[in-house]
Amino acid sequence: MSEAGSSTKNGGKLLKASACLGLVVVLCLLPLYISSQFLIHIFIITFIYIVATASLRTITVSGQFPLAHAAFMGIGAYTSAVVSKEFGLSPWLTIPLGGFVAMGVGIFIGFPFARLRALYYAMVSLFFGIGVLQVFFVLNVYTLAYRGLTGIPPLLHGASKVHYYYFFMGFALLCLVALYRFEFSRIGTILRAIAQSHQVASSVGISEAKYRVLVLAVGCFFVGVAGGVYAHYNRTLSYPLFDMTATLWMFMYVLIGGIGSFAGPIVGTAILMILPELFRELRAFVPYVTAAILFIVVFAMPQGLVGLPGLVRSWHRGRGKVGGIPGPL
Amino acid sequence: MYISVALGFAFLFNIMGIMNFAHGAIYMVAGYICYQFGVALGLNLLVSMLLSVAIVASFGLFLERFCFRPFFGDLNRTMVVCIGIIVVLETTVNILGGTFTRAIPAFAPGLVKAGPVSLSIQRVITFIVGGVLLAATVWFMKSTRKGQQMQAVSQNLEGAVLQGINVHRSSALACVMACGMASVAGCLMGALVGLTPFMGGHMLLKALELVILGGVGSLGGIFFAGLIIGGLDASLPVFVSGAASEAVGLGIIVAVMLFRPQGLFGRDVE
Repeated sequence: MSEAGSSTKNGGKLLKASACLGLVVVLCLLPLYISSQFLIHIFIITFIYIVATASLRTITVSGQFPLAHAAFMGIGAYTSAVVSKEFGLSPWLTIPLGGFVAMGVGIFIGFPFARLRALYYAMVSLFFGIGVLQVFFVLNVYTLAYRGLTGIPPLLHGASKVHYYYFFMGFALLCLVALYRFEFSRIGTILRAIAQSHQVASSVGISEAKYRVLVLAVGCFFVGVAGGVYAHYNRTLSYPLFDMTATLWMFMYVLIGGIGSFAGPIVGTAILMILPELFRELRAFVPYVTAAILFIVVFAMPQGLVGLPGLVRSWHRGRGKVGGIPGPL
Repeated sequence: MYISVALGFAFLFNIMGIMNFAHGAIYMVAGYICYQFGVALGLNLLVSMLLSVAIVASFGLFLERFCFRPFFGDLNRTMVVCIGIIVVLETTVNILGGTFTRAIPAFAPGLVKAGPVSLSIQRVITFIVGGVLLAATVWFMKSTRKGQQMQAVSQNLEGAVLQGINVHRSSALACVMACGMASVAGCLMGALVGLTPFMGGHMLLKALELVILGGVGSLGGIFFAGLIIGGLDASLPVFVSGAASEAVGLGIIVAVMLFRPQGLFGRDVE
């Protein structure tokens, strides 16, 4: 995927498509060569988080920086888990329900939050996310937030990790295709227009608030579903998955991969989640690996990891540096 | 109490536009350094606090030069660097110090009685130090040459450069001061509530609440926002219990922000 990230030539589209196809084939074959159950587990978690971060990036296309994404994931996860556990419903019904509840909350806060801009939006949504986390604690009777929710019904009965691997790969692909179609539709163009200048966009008859709420709803739905499948895959939930640190890390995944490109969150999540696991023998020192990745990327690659091929090309030609994308935050 | 923690963060953010997410971690490290000198090495507590301030402030100089200056005006990448720093600092303290809670002994033990309420002297000192630091910062900004230069930089970068102000030097000074303030807060709070490697996150949140509620670009706003948030934190648990009080407090802040999108005393940022 990363080879295709910055290609702009005529053959770029074909190259991108074939690179995606190649990646999917490699991912399909991977479980045949990996015997470690743990590594497959890591891959599954990565698939789920790719959906979450890709939906986060879709929201940022409209120039909003919501720092409450982990909280929305929590809404989806806890809704689905608690409803299916308390009422004995099938997870296949409650996961979409979790997605719709997250979407409803997104719409509910979307309209008032459309008043806020740039930094204030980011910060107020951060407070909102932490408020949501506290609500989980208040509903401790159902969510068991303090000691962790266990005994959530499984998604697939009697399935092995490999079954789950293929299921979640399909799930991630489906969600990514949907988000891709959304971003490169007419709506996506409108969203980019709003991000560039909300005043010009409103002057040509685009309802800014409507589209900002729409994209928030879409992003929240996908992350809610991701939270739901996570709950039924892992079968336990604990609150640190959904707190401020988790939100910031999701944002890190997007930024490291490259916020300006659709492939960004995919690459970023994959690198930051899988690479540190390969250094597991270092035990307590593993976070240093993560920090090293952050520093290398942020100092050497202004556009994130997807900007790497372009950077290499420009070094090759001796044209000097590629300019960074100024962050609208 | 919150004022003393948030002041450094707000100072750096208002003046240089640097959103130092690592402020909480720096505050935590300062507390640990003070603990090391004061308890493990048995130095006088005030001396160890001064040492901690000196070490952390010089770390601030390093931070500005190598971590903030390359990304001037790019909040996204500054944030990535800060998260990296947080990871490094927390992991280092975690490995060296262990995860369990430690406490710096009180700087001044004892209680003071004022009518029906009794307060520990430690709390009074923390409050006074916070107030003095805030007043000193406002004085510094208003009345000294360096402070006025910083104001100029925050108001109009190009204009300040054209007037011959060394922006990098102002920014380095601001960073050193901010880290110094974080360190004072870390030492005092370490004595008040104890130290853990992950205590920075909570304080970072409080600092963010303060700065956003007070409004970007307003140091006076921090004082009032600090009083409001402190008051909310103290009074809400009387009415609703535990986590609900946090949720209600955050809800109130969010509601206020929706009615005043630029904070109580802030200016508009685009």
